[in-house]
Amino acid sequence: MEICADLPAVVLELGVAVGDAVDAGQVVAVLESMKLEIPIETPASGTVTAVHVAVGETVDDGQVLVELGE
Amino acid sequence: MNEDWSAEVDAIEERRSLARRMGGEAAVARQHANGRLTARVRVARLLDDGSFREVGSLAGRRDAEDRFVPNNQVVGRGRVDGRPVVVAADDFTIRGGSLDKSEFAKHVYPERFAHEFRLPLVRLVESGGGSLSGIESLGYSYVPDNPGWDDVVRNLATVPVVALALGPCGGIAAARVAASHYSVMVAKTSQVFAGGPPLVAQTGEQIDKESLGGSRVQTRNGTVTDVVGSEDEAFARAARFLSYLPQSVFETPARGETADDPQRRDDWLLGAVPRDPRKIYAMRRVIEAVVDTGSFFELGAEWGRSMITGLARLDGWPVAVMAEDCRYGGALTADAARKAEWFVDLAQTFHLPVVRLVDQPGIPIGSAAEQAGTMRHAVRALSAVHQATVPWCSVLVRRVFGVGGAAHTNAARAQFRYSWPSGRWGSLPTLGGVEAGFKARIEAAEDPEAERSRIADRLERLADPMRTAEAFGIEEMIDPRDTRPLLCEFANLAAPLRDRGPAAWGYRG
Repeated sequence: MEICADLPAVVLELGVAVGDAVDAGQVVAVLESMKLEIPIETPASGTVTAVHVAVGETVDDGQVLVELGE
Repeated sequence: MNEDWSAEVDAIEERRSLARRMGGEAAVARQHANGRLTARVRVARLLDDGSFREVGSLAGRRDAEDRFVPNNQVVGRGRVDGRPVVVAADDFTIRGGSLDKSEFAKHVYPERFAHEFRLPLVRLVESGGGSLSGIESLGYSYVPDNPGWDDVVRNLATVPVVALALGPCGGIAAARVAASHYSVMVAKTSQVFAGGPPLVAQTGEQIDKESLGGSRVQTRNGTVTDVVGSEDEAFARAARFLSYLPQSVFETPARGETADDPQRRDDWLLGAVPRDPRKIYAMRRVIEAVVDTGSFFELGAEWGRSMITGLARLDGWPVAVMAEDCRYGGALTADAARKAEWFVDLAQTFHLPVVRLVDQPGIPIGSAAEQAGTMRHAVRALSAVHQATVPWCSVLVRRVFGVGGAAHTNAARAQFRYSWPSGRWGSLPTLGGVEAGFKARIEAAEDPEAERSRIADRLERLADPMRTAEAFGIEEMIDPRDTRPLLCEFANLAAPLRDRGPAAWGYRG
């Protein structure tokens, strides 16, 4: 499962690394837009299989942030 | 026994029974296998039980064997929650619902009837659009003229038009979906496009119909208002939308039942906006806390997501609610501006007072926003706000910055406006504005860094909203918990001001 940015923003924080187990509703990243901190939550539980962005990186609406596996 | 007309009356009934068979058993079975209802079942489920009065049940054509083939649109009148409406349902089981030229008189009829009788129109759309077979039956080609389109356009300025896309909708059918005040798709079973995958393939693009024009595409770009999971949900949405609107622009929206106390004060509102300006909050929850319980009906949740638009009731009176969603930044992006323009025009067309909850950081800056043509769309939104004459009430919840912030109201009107203590405003947010506005002074200072922070501190003190209230720059500051009582007072004061009749300019879709 891919967890994507849903607005153009800058990555402010990454809360997870590859191998981490996450629960549904957990914040995996915090984005910044219009001077606001926007937490991005995972809709499902799973294990992080890839992190595609770095702190400080600019992301677009729809860009994959993190991938989850079973 | 006297000779009477019973033989002819029987013939009428026999013809009607042929029409009720639609495209025949095989075609109906195919429709069901595709997970979709037939036109006649749709009409029955949309309308109040037994209220359908069909018009044109005898219309159709004869095939090569001289057998009667019904017209592929089911048309008539009926009631939705007791109120009369006109309904037009495409019958996909007959020639894929194609709107060919030879039978267009019946397709135009519901549009014209809705206009003349000032009744809401519900289109149940499922059609491949125009068809080449029309040329065959006519024996000649024709310059396309979108039959009945003048009526379609007049209806947008006169009566509520709801379009439910219930299967594939191509070409003119897609246009009939978009040319509405409210449109709904059913996830996975309906698609909307100018031309379907076979046509698109000829341009070299291989794509399936869902990727081409599925709900994910068309609700994100604003072509279609909303998406639901089933046809029955779509019928329920249509009824709910109509419940907030008048029968036509020549009436005003009716007051609904409400059990909610207009004096209700929700304690949660006092802490709804975080004190930390970088933290977000749930604007939808704010809306739900101030309008009549359960009355908020959001429209277009998937597009222009920094702006929330929806219908609601205050002490029973239907109103149009607009508010920023800070979860998506809240900025007046190109999409949010298009959405705001659309929604203000909808409110103006149907005499819905506007309740504007404001948390607007401004028009986005940067090259992506410039390339999106944001300023033109923002100007159109501004024009809609300034041209609107419906009663207008603003509640400043948090940010009101720049040109986008100013667009929350037409400042030339008498303001029915309040600010929460969390309100912050200005031409630019203080933090970013210091650098730009005081460049020379900062550079000339012995210690530029100290000068910058001195200026910032001073501006921050001056930005205290209480100083604005002293200068009567904001009409009143309130306890957020008083919002609902004040909005209900507004709705009651606004009710007699809602002028009937067409707007000065016509809604364009």
